Amino acid sequence: MMSRFLRTSLAVGVPLVAIAALVLPRALPAAAPAKKSLGFVITDYNLAGYETKYFDECPEGLAIGNDELWWKALSPQDRDKLTNSGLIEPVDPPRRPTAALRGPNKEDVCWNPTITKDPPLRVIKGKIGRGFNMDGTEDGKATANTCAHEKFTSPDGSTKVDNQMYRILGCIYGWRRGNYMEGHANRERRDSSQGIILVDVSDVDDVKNDPSVTVTYYSTVDLLQKDSGGGILPWASYRPSDTPHYGAKAKGKIVDGHVIAEPVDARLPLFGNNVTGDMIYKGLRLDLDLTKAAPDGSYSGLLAGYRDFENWWDYIRKIEFLTVTGQWSCPAIWVASQELADGYPDPKTGKCTAISEAMDITAVPAFVVPREARTAQAQGK
Amino acid sequence: MSKLSRRSALKGLVNGTAVTVALPFLDCFLGGNGTALASGAPIPVRFGTWFWGLGFTPGRGVNLAKTGKDLAFLEECQALVPYKDQLSYFSNFNTPLDGKATTVHYTGWVAARTGSVPNTGGDLPAPTIDVLVGDHFGAGTRFRSIDLSCTGNPRDSYTGRNTGSRNAGEVSPLGMYTKVFGPEFADPNAATFTPDPNVMVRQSVLSAVGEQRTDLVKQLGAADKARLDEYFTSVRQLEQRLELQLQPPPKAEACRIAKSPGEQPMGTELESVLVNHELMSNMLAMAVACNQTRVFNMLYSQALSSLHRRGEAFIHHTLTHEEPLDPKLGYQAEVAWYNLRSFEAMATFIKAFASIKEGDGTLLDNTLIYANSDTNFAKLHALDGIPVFLIGKAGGKVKTGYHIPGGGDPISRIGLTVQHAMGMEVDKWGTQSMQTSKPIAELLV
Amino acid sequence: MRRILLALTALTALSACGPKEPVVEAAPPAMRRLTEEQYRQVIADVFGDDIVIGGRFDPINRSNGLLAVGASSTAINGSAFERYDGLARSVASQVTDRANRDVLVPCKPADAAAADDACATTFFKNTGRLLYRRALTDAELKTQVALANAGATKLKDFYVGLSSSLSAMLVRPEFLFVTDTLEADPSKAGAFRLTPYAKAARVSFLLWNTTPDDALLTAAEKGDLNSSSGLKKQVDRMIASPRLAVGMRAFFNDMLAFDAFENLQKDPVIYPAFGLSAVELAREQILTTIIDQTVTTQGDYRNLFTTRKTVMSAPLGLVYRVPVSQPDGWVPYEFPEGDEHVGIQSFAGFVALFSHPGRSSATLRGKAVREILMCQKVPDPPSGVDFTLISDSHNPVYKTARERLKAHSTDPTCAGCHRIMDPIGLTLEHFDGAGQFRDDENGAAIDTSGELDGVAYTDAAGLGAALAKNAAVPACLVKRLYGYGTGRISTSAEKPILTYLEERFAKEGYRVPELLRDIALSDAFYQVAPAADAPKTASLEGGKP
Repeated sequence: MMSRFLRTSLAVGVPLVAIAALVLPRALPAAAPAKKSLGFVITDYNLAGYETKYFDECPEGLAIGNDELWWKALSPQDRDKLTNSGLIEPVDPPRRPTAALRGPNKEDVCWNPTITKDPPLRVIKGKIGRGFNMDGTEDGKATANTCAHEKFTSPDGSTKVDNQMYRILGCIYGWRRGNYMEGHANRERRDSSQGIILVDVSDVDDVKNDPSVTVTYYSTVDLLQKDSGGGILPWASYRPSDTPHYGAKAKGKIVDGHVIAEPVDARLPLFGNNVTGDMIYKGLRLDLDLTKAAPDGSYSGLLAGYRDFENWWDYIRKIEFLTVTGQWSCPAIWVASQELADGYPDPKTGKCTAISEAMDITAVPAFVVPREARTAQAQGK
Repeated sequence: MSKLSRRSALKGLVNGTAVTVALPFLDCFLGGNGTALASGAPIPVRFGTWFWGLGFTPGRGVNLAKTGKDLAFLEECQALVPYKDQLSYFSNFNTPLDGKATTVHYTGWVAARTGSVPNTGGDLPAPTIDVLVGDHFGAGTRFRSIDLSCTGNPRDSYTGRNTGSRNAGEVSPLGMYTKVFGPEFADPNAATFTPDPNVMVRQSVLSAVGEQRTDLVKQLGAADKARLDEYFTSVRQLEQRLELQLQPPPKAEACRIAKSPGEQPMGTELESVLVNHELMSNMLAMAVACNQTRVFNMLYSQALSSLHRRGEAFIHHTLTHEEPLDPKLGYQAEVAWYNLRSFEAMATFIKAFASIKEGDGTLLDNTLIYANSDTNFAKLHALDGIPVFLIGKAGGKVKTGYHIPGGGDPISRIGLTVQHAMGMEVDKWGTQSMQTSKPIAELLV
Repeated sequence: MRRILLALTALTALSACGPKEPVVEAAPPAMRRLTEEQYRQVIADVFGDDIVIGGRFDPINRSNGLLAVGASSTAINGSAFERYDGLARSVASQVTDRANRDVLVPCKPADAAAADDACATTFFKNTGRLLYRRALTDAELKTQVALANAGATKLKDFYVGLSSSLSAMLVRPEFLFVTDTLEADPSKAGAFRLTPYAKAARVSFLLWNTTPDDALLTAAEKGDLNSSSGLKKQVDRMIASPRLAVGMRAFFNDMLAFDAFENLQKDPVIYPAFGLSAVELAREQILTTIIDQTVTTQGDYRNLFTTRKTVMSAPLGLVYRVPVSQPDGWVPYEFPEGDEHVGIQSFAGFVALFSHPGRSSATLRGKAVREILMCQKVPDPPSGVDFTLISDSHNPVYKTARERLKAHSTDPTCAGCHRIMDPIGLTLEHFDGAGQFRDDENGAAIDTSGELDGVAYTDAAGLGAALAKNAAVPACLVKRLYGYGTGRISTSAEKPILTYLEERFAKEGYRVPELLRDIALSDAFYQVAPAADAPKTASLEGGKP
């Protein structure tokens, strides 16, 4: 309670409230660095696939969902019980919590994917795919860092592409473009500002062509800045997270307005479908096309690398509650991914421990406010 | 209200007893002008205004060839067709300027509402017609007037006594609700009535405020003295309205307590203007039916209308000047679209009054609404033939369903007609070339 | 000896450098309605800033470029009075509620459920002096106490009675109108002067935008304000106070017509970054910059039009497209060399305020610079103008505002005014309707060249430099500050004092606090005589301490 004048006049003698006067910079700041930085915040990412209207890339059809396998395996008595003698659909509950309990002793098949054997996953059989040639081969033969696998050909026919994640997930209904798994995860990230990836392109002399730049992948501690319709605004400032395992730096270059980052091992923040954690990649690389912006100011590009299998499987099993929505079977996906993993063979077993993956990303320009500057600010400079 | 009664009210309070002063209540309330409810109680007549900016496209609003009882609406006024028998339209009434310069989008509405041409922009040379009618009605209701603006800006309100005394508009539906139907609302149809002791204290406070002389006046000039006089008049008016709240309100058959509209976004985005206009129109009609006021003003869009659709760079006003004529249609298509919205809004306003039953008819039958714009053809700021409507039957005092061509007569004739319909003893109205003593006799009953 | 010293002090104060102050004709007294800012400030200063002042105020019409001048001709009509009544009751009930009464009521009633003469008297004596800007007369004090007692008795609550009586005080004309009261000037037979109380109010509203504080009222009561040295002591104290920043903030908010920010809206689809928070922050950014440069660091007023230094907040960073190192609050910021944001007239708040909801306006911006920063009147547009020539904004020929306006200005009735507005406004066309930088409009490059009173430039920085060199700019500040202080429309009779103040302002390096000191210590500022149409028997008693 401050009553300046009344109290003064009553001789209580309360000092005046301090009137905050912001002190503006008195001296010119140090000469601006000659090199520029281009910052971006990734607003959406989706598995880079190649989908046709009539599912030609999935000649066997879309993957068989957990529900179907569960229902087929139920005894007539169980079916009778679950449908109240056929009067109702086996709706939630009990379907969702019980449908994954398909082990011999009702074990959860997502947490124990080898406990039962499902029909093989229906995977991509098409020849066209999108992504990078990450193993450097034209035919997918084994190399020091990769296992033998089939490659895709890019839509324009120019590149032999590695994207085994697309091969695994591409025929699963919920993972196809625009469907729940990624659409919802993108929505959750926009809503929560969690798991947001920043890309900082620094040491830039020429934004069109520059033989040497640095690309850093961060997570941010700040909230996404949005317009009144929920769109993510360009030109907001974001501070990187202090978590030390983010911040992988890659060498890069700018070629005809494309930011190309060389492979680097990196952790990216993960938030999606209610799962929080990291995405662990080996050989993460980037091609961000700055030559054309969408009307909302965003740019698109490809982000690709070898996703660590264990790290990925941890995510898959944690989203088992979505098998009904997304239509997949954990045992089938396990078997397929074990077979199709193509990166970083275990020196002892020779089995590959990572899966090649390419993602379409949408990014809007942003300012990545460097940690050094923030520290200086905090000290009241 | 005499000096004595205010004093006694204060004195009563000092002694710890409230003295209620018996007002000749119904006389004061009705101004000798009422019709009767089914119960036999007389129904008061009400007056209000409705404003929309930028007129309409000439040749697309009202068919000028059809006059008298042949009133016929064209494309832009289609929304008014269901109410054709409830209103009259006035064409070709002019605004002679007597050599004064016009201030675009200002001179027009001021002349139409005050009967005088302003000297400059911002100048309000005479009281607006709602103020004159309100003075005639006296302080018989809880509110002197309810003034509403749908644009989010309280300055967008075309009512006032003079330049320094403009009435600001209420802009928020929730604000309006709270003001009218909030805790201080006394349901006229409630079975019992208990005077609120807090109102008694308030009334005595205002009585004291009005009683206490001030020596501020002594060295001031005439203009400042007039401002002080107006101040004391304002005090007395509010005090009288408080006195009214200390007596049981007369029954109002049609009165139902409106529902709270909740927080609404405000501003000049067309979408929110339309929502707020409808909400406030319905609440206003109910406030009138509940005898909370007899005078009201509603502004749908400003004279310099800045209504705009979300995502559109151009506001309505800019479009009127800058949108090219559509070569096929022969008019400004976007502007026409906005004009359609204006008349739909007018229809919404009329409907709010027409759908409340009162006595043998509707609230609209006991109301007169003066609806005008600021210009005829906005593209050229045309001042001649500013569109004016009179809506409602004023308790049977005016005929409706006519198209009255003015033949270039001053627009003040319509305002004078309104005053006669309201039972005011006025022989002439307006100044200079706008002065007239000729009401439109064929409309008056 | 003492008298000589006093005279010397007066000399050093006023005429040490430069010519003597010209004698001006006394003006009629003003009766100024409290502006919304003043009302809020007074309530906060008297009762504390946690008193919530909800609800709207009836607007005051701008006159002579200022609400402070319009306040001298704005009445309190029924609608305004209803609002004041509501505000008064709300403020009064907060002052006396349980949370505040122990601090704001300096005594305790013997019985909280009954009237208490002594405590009510103490309360109104103290509070009334601050609200009426003078000591209450005995009769006034008696009335307030009687009202409080009546309410307390009726409602069986001392504080409710106090509250209802206080609400009466808050709607009285003595509170709502700041009125010049006069007394006979003992030094000149038949002449008048402002009473010390009226002088105190004038100084206080000029410098602090609020009611006089205890020290100033005491000085008035002791007669100190009638001597140059006594007045100077108070003026110096007030200029040295951090409250000067508050007062000047209110002045610049008025001068720049920033009350319009309250109704400023930008189309969220066209300008997604310019949301509601950005609107308020854009105003704050300019006011903070002004106060920092003119008051806190006492810089040259003209530098405001060439400054690159300002403050930045995260939501404004989105508009300016610059990095901001903190998500909350303000950080110092300096626009880099080469950036066209130079001077407050180029900042987002200014260019966005003088624009349409979804479009920039070279005309509105040019008009604002002329009228607000240079005190020049741009005539209203003529009626009956056919805009068809420039109508088609999608016309492939007229892509930019410059091309459209050029086509428009071929109409001779329009050309005259546009010639003085457009070369200013078009230079600011690199800033869109929300103040965001752009290079082109509809794909055509924007030409930002322009001219101000014969000084040509190529971009916004050039416009800023031209404004800083234009004599009308500091002269306009002098005129507005003087009008703000007196609350009256400036007349030709004031010309000599304005010229005198302009010259001093220049000599003092265009430092605003010095200008304020010159105004507050000038004789002209207090030259008031009864209105020509006042009664001949003008009483001299009103407001005498």
